[in-house]
Amino acid sequence: MKLATYRKKSPWILHYNAGGCNGCDIEILACLAPKYDIERFGMINTGNPKQSDILLVTGPVTKRSRERLVEIYAQMPEPKVVVACGACASTGGVFRGMYNCEGGVDQFIPVDVYVCGCGTRPEQIIDGVVQALAILEQKNKDMEASVRLNTQPIAEDEQLNRRHVAASITPTPTV
Amino acid sequence: MAQQYEIPVGAQHISLLEPLHFKFTTENEKIVHTDANVYYVHRGIEKACCTKFKFRQVSFVVGRVCGLCSISHTTAYSQVAEKLLKIEIPKRAKYLRMLVIELDRIHSHLLCLSHVAENSGFEALFMKTMQYREFSMELLEAICGNRIQYDFSIVGGVARDLKPEVANQVLRRLDHFMPQLEELADIFRNNWTLSLKNKGVGAISRETALRLNVVGPFARAAGLAVDVRNETEDLLPWKEAGFEMVTETSGDVYARNMVRIRELYVSISIIRNIINGLPETPIVTETKAFPDGEAVVRLEAPRGELFYYAKGNKTQVLERLKIKAPTFSNVAAMVEAFRGNEYGSAPAIIASYDPCLSCTAR
Repeated sequence: MKLATYRKKSPWILHYNAGGCNGCDIEILACLAPKYDIERFGMINTGNPKQSDILLVTGPVTKRSRERLVEIYAQMPEPKVVVACGACASTGGVFRGMYNCEGGVDQFIPVDVYVCGCGTRPEQIIDGVVQALAILEQKNKDMEASVRLNTQPIAEDEQLNRRHVAASITPTPTV
Repeated sequence: MAQQYEIPVGAQHISLLEPLHFKFTTENEKIVHTDANVYYVHRGIEKACCTKFKFRQVSFVVGRVCGLCSISHTTAYSQVAEKLLKIEIPKRAKYLRMLVIELDRIHSHLLCLSHVAENSGFEALFMKTMQYREFSMELLEAICGNRIQYDFSIVGGVARDLKPEVANQVLRRLDHFMPQLEELADIFRNNWTLSLKNKGVGAISRETALRLNVVGPFARAAGLAVDVRNETEDLLPWKEAGFEMVTETSGDVYARNMVRIRELYVSISIIRNIINGLPETPIVTETKAFPDGEAVVRLEAPRGELFYYAKGNKTQVLERLKIKAPTFSNVAAMVEAFRGNEYGSAPAIIASYDPCLSCTAR
């Protein structure tokens, strides 16, 4: 089974709205529709983080949705790619500095592709997701490559041993 | 009493566009109780509008309250600001605002219909509706310059004029859309598979709807003739443009679909009337005044009555801005209408409410 090949040809998308205005969300929905038809890249929208490869996040992260966002990201299996859709997911956009907004997805989870625009056009979303596919493939290669240690193991610890310098921890006898 | 189970839906779910949490208490398959939790996307826009932004910038900020009905928000804010500035906008600007609001209503209703079809398990109808919906997005792009977030209404008028070739294009595309709409209406009305998930599901009675203060297509499907377009005439001349009230009686998912489809016909006739009788006036009223006093505006967004309150104090920054979105009025009835239905129907019922939580939470 060449799982990596199938993953490249058929990545599954997970979409989460972290407090956006719905604008980018309906454009993601329009991507799935016949005119833009993101399914020709083998992509399918799934609601389950445990089966997804690409996480599409929209919206500035509100204080209530940030735990959900991190939880969803943590539940996705490796390798995974995060695409921040829209100006407010990338930087906070017009909501930056509002009292309940954190300003950008990359404050909490690593973002691989930033898609600009308010609202994002479907062409831009498709472009971002196709870029994400290349990153996904690279991450997959990195995971499968055998890991070799390039650095030499540390021969001698030159750090100051604080235990020798510090005062004795034996309690002073009370008189 | 049978054993009760609690089933959570959300905050992230395949059938939801936005973070929304429902906790269903079920007995066997029947839903006996529902808890709704809608404030995941609160951003604090009202506070920012009163501190960070000048009153002319606010119309662009409130557009970002909701991407689906952004033109309703920008128009309602522009109207309330014009009331504070005590200016009258040109007639052409009013007509252009109505034109874009109706086009926005077409794309919003078609999105809702496609979503109902998808959540009822009819994926092909979802694809078909989304395919037919693209014409409205292209027309909005031709008129306003962007597919969503049009920023069309500004304080004192509208940002762009309608070019004659774009107007011709709108009429031509509407003619092209009419047979497609007939096809969709036929499927939504007569398809037997869809009727299993839609007819008699998620029903709410007229009395309950009245008691719980429902607005929008949700109320009109239950038989309440509530529509702001029918009530106010001073800000936007809806009746002059050919508005007709659409109501159904049964109050279930099927009735809500029918209300939306019949409203599409009304919207199309309004757009045709507007383009054929567009007055030749300037599109912006210039003023250097500052907002002063208090004002209230109501506007019919695609989901129901949108309410804006603003208070100015003769400075660049408003003192208070209050937004009451249509979905906020409907939350109580949304929880009520689940009762007695099967859990399997819940996604279709949620989609048929057409909830807009970024409006509600702001």
